[in-house]
Amino acid sequence: MTFLSVVQEHFWGFLRATGMTLQLTSVSLVLAVVIGLVFAFMKLSDNRLANLIANAYIGLTRGLPLIVQLMFLYFGISSIVVLSSFWAGTLALALHAGGYVAEIIRGAIQNIDRGQTEAARSIGMSRSKTMRLIILPQAFRRAIPSLGNQFIIGLKDSSLVAYLGVPELYSNAMTAAAANYKPLETYLVAGSYYLVLVVAFTFLVNKLEVKLSPHRQEASR
Amino acid sequence: MSVIDIKGRHKSFGDLHVLKGIDLTVETGEVVVIIGPSGSGKSTLLRCLNFLEYPDSGDIRVNGALIDPKKTDLDKVRQHMGMVFQHFHLFPHRNVLHNITIGPINVKGLSPKKANSIARDLLDKVGLPDREKAWPSQLSGGQKQRVAIARALAMDPDIVLFDEVTSALDPELVSEVLQVIQDLAAQGMTMVMVTHEMGFAREVADRVIMMDDGGIIEQGTPEQVLDNPSEERTQAFLSQVL
Ligand SMILES: Nc1ncnc2c1ncn2[C@@H]1O[C@H](COP(=O)(O)OP(=O)(O)OP(=O)(O)O)[C@@H](O)[C@H]1O
Ligand SMILES: [Mg+2]
Repeated sequence: MTFLSVVQEHFWGFLRATGMTLQLTSVSLVLAVVIGLVFAFMKLSDNRLANLIANAYIGLTRGLPLIVQLMFLYFGISSIVVLSSFWAGTLALALHAGGYVAEIIRGAIQNIDRGQTEAARSIGMSRSKTMRLIILPQAFRRAIPSLGNQFIIGLKDSSLVAYLGVPELYSNAMTAAAANYKPLETYLVAGSYYLVLVVAFTFLVNKLEVKLSPHRQEASR
Repeated sequence: MSVIDIKGRHKSFGDLHVLKGIDLTVETGEVVVIIGPSGSGKSTLLRCLNFLEYPDSGDIRVNGALIDPKKTDLDKVRQHMGMVFQHFHLFPHRNVLHNITIGPINVKGLSPKKANSIARDLLDKVGLPDREKAWPSQLSGGQKQRVAIARALAMDPDIVLFDEVTSALDPELVSEVLQVIQDLAAQGMTMVMVTHEMGFAREVADRVIMMDDGGIIEQGTPEQVLDNPSEERTQAFLSQVL
C-alpha cells in the first residue's frame, strides 16, 4: 500500500520528470541518427582518413562506460562553452548512441544486395541518387528493429543524466526517496514509469515497422 | 551506324585475366547473342559495355563517341543502355509502376504524369496491364522479369543488354519472357544477349558470338555458328548444351 501512497504523493512530480526524460531521449536520439548516418558513411567511404576517424569514434563511444563519457563531456564541454546541463546531457547521450547507430546503419546498408545498386546505376542513376532513393529506404526499413532496440537502451541510459543535475525521472526518484524515506517504493514507482514508456515505445516501433513495409506485409498474406 | 564499338578490351580481377582483348561492333537494330561456357567472361563483357565494370584497357565508342571512363559522364552513357539481369533486381520497396517510372522521373526529369503514361504503355506491351499496383514480391519470376524489361525500356535506350534473363526462371515461365524479347527484336531494338536458349538464339539472332576463355573464338550467323561451327571448342560446347 505504501507503493500506492508514493504514487499518489509524487504523481505530478514524476509526470513532469517523465516529460523531461522524453525530451532528453527524443532529442538525443534524433541527433544520434544524424551522427550515426555521418559516421556510417565515413566508414563506408573509400577515404582512409574518414575510415580511421569513424573507427576511432565508434571504438571510443562503444568502449567507454556511458557515465565516464557523460562526465568527460560535461566537464570538458562546459570548460569551453557554457552549456545547460540539459544540453550537455542530451549531447553526451547523442554522441554515445551515435556510435551504435552508425554501426547499425552501416550494417544495414552493406546488407542490401549489390544487385540493387547495379540495377539503379544501369538506368543511369548517380551514386548519390542510388543511395537516397534505392539503398537508404531499404536499409532504414531493415534497421528499424535494431534502431528501436537502441532507442530503448537510450531511454534507459537517459537516467544517468540525473548525475548532471537534469530533473528527469531517475533524479526525481532520488530526490523523492531522500525526502520520504521510502526508497524501495519510490524506485519501484520510477521503474514502473520507465517500463510503461518502454512498452509504449516498443508498440510504436512495431507499428512503424509494419507501416513502412507494405511490400513485406502483402507478401506474407 | 554502330551503337557500340569496342577494340582490344581487357579486364582483370586481380590476377585473373577475364577479358583478353575483345573486339566487338554492334550495329543499330542488330541482335547479337553471346554463348559460351561458364566463366568464359560473357557477363563481364556485358558489364564492361555499360561500365558496371571498369575496363582496364581498350577503346569503346558509343554512338560514335569515344568514351573516356575518367572524363565522360558515365551516368549519361548508362541512361542510353538498358540492362536486364538474371535475378531481376526489381526495387522491392517500390510497386510495379514506380519501379518503371523511377528512372524517367529521377534521372530524365520527366513529369510523373508523362512517366506514368510511358510505364502503362510498357506494362501493356509486356503483358501486365493490370499489375501496376502490385509489389515485386507478389509477382512470379516471369512477371518480375517482364517488369524489369519494362523498367529498362522506360529510359528509351538505344540498346538493351540481357544477361541470362531466363536462367533463374521455372521452365514454364521462360517462354513468356522470351516472347517479350522477340517482340522487341521484331520492332528493331538493338540488343546484346547472353543466353543458353539455343533455339531462341537461332530465331532472334542476327549474329551469334562464341566466347571461351576471355576471347571471341567464333562468330557469324546462327546457321554458321550453331549448325556448322568451325571451331572444335564451339562444337564441344554445343554438344553439351543441346
Ligand atoms: N567481381 C569479380 N571479382 C572477381 N572475379 C570475378 C568477378 N566477376 C567475375 N569474376 C570472374 O571472372 C570470370 C568470368 O566471369 P563471368 O561472370 O564473366 O563469366 P560468365 O561467362 O558470365 O559465366 P556464367 O555462364 O557462369 O555466367 C569467372 O572466373 C569469375 O569468377
Ligand atoms: Mg554470367
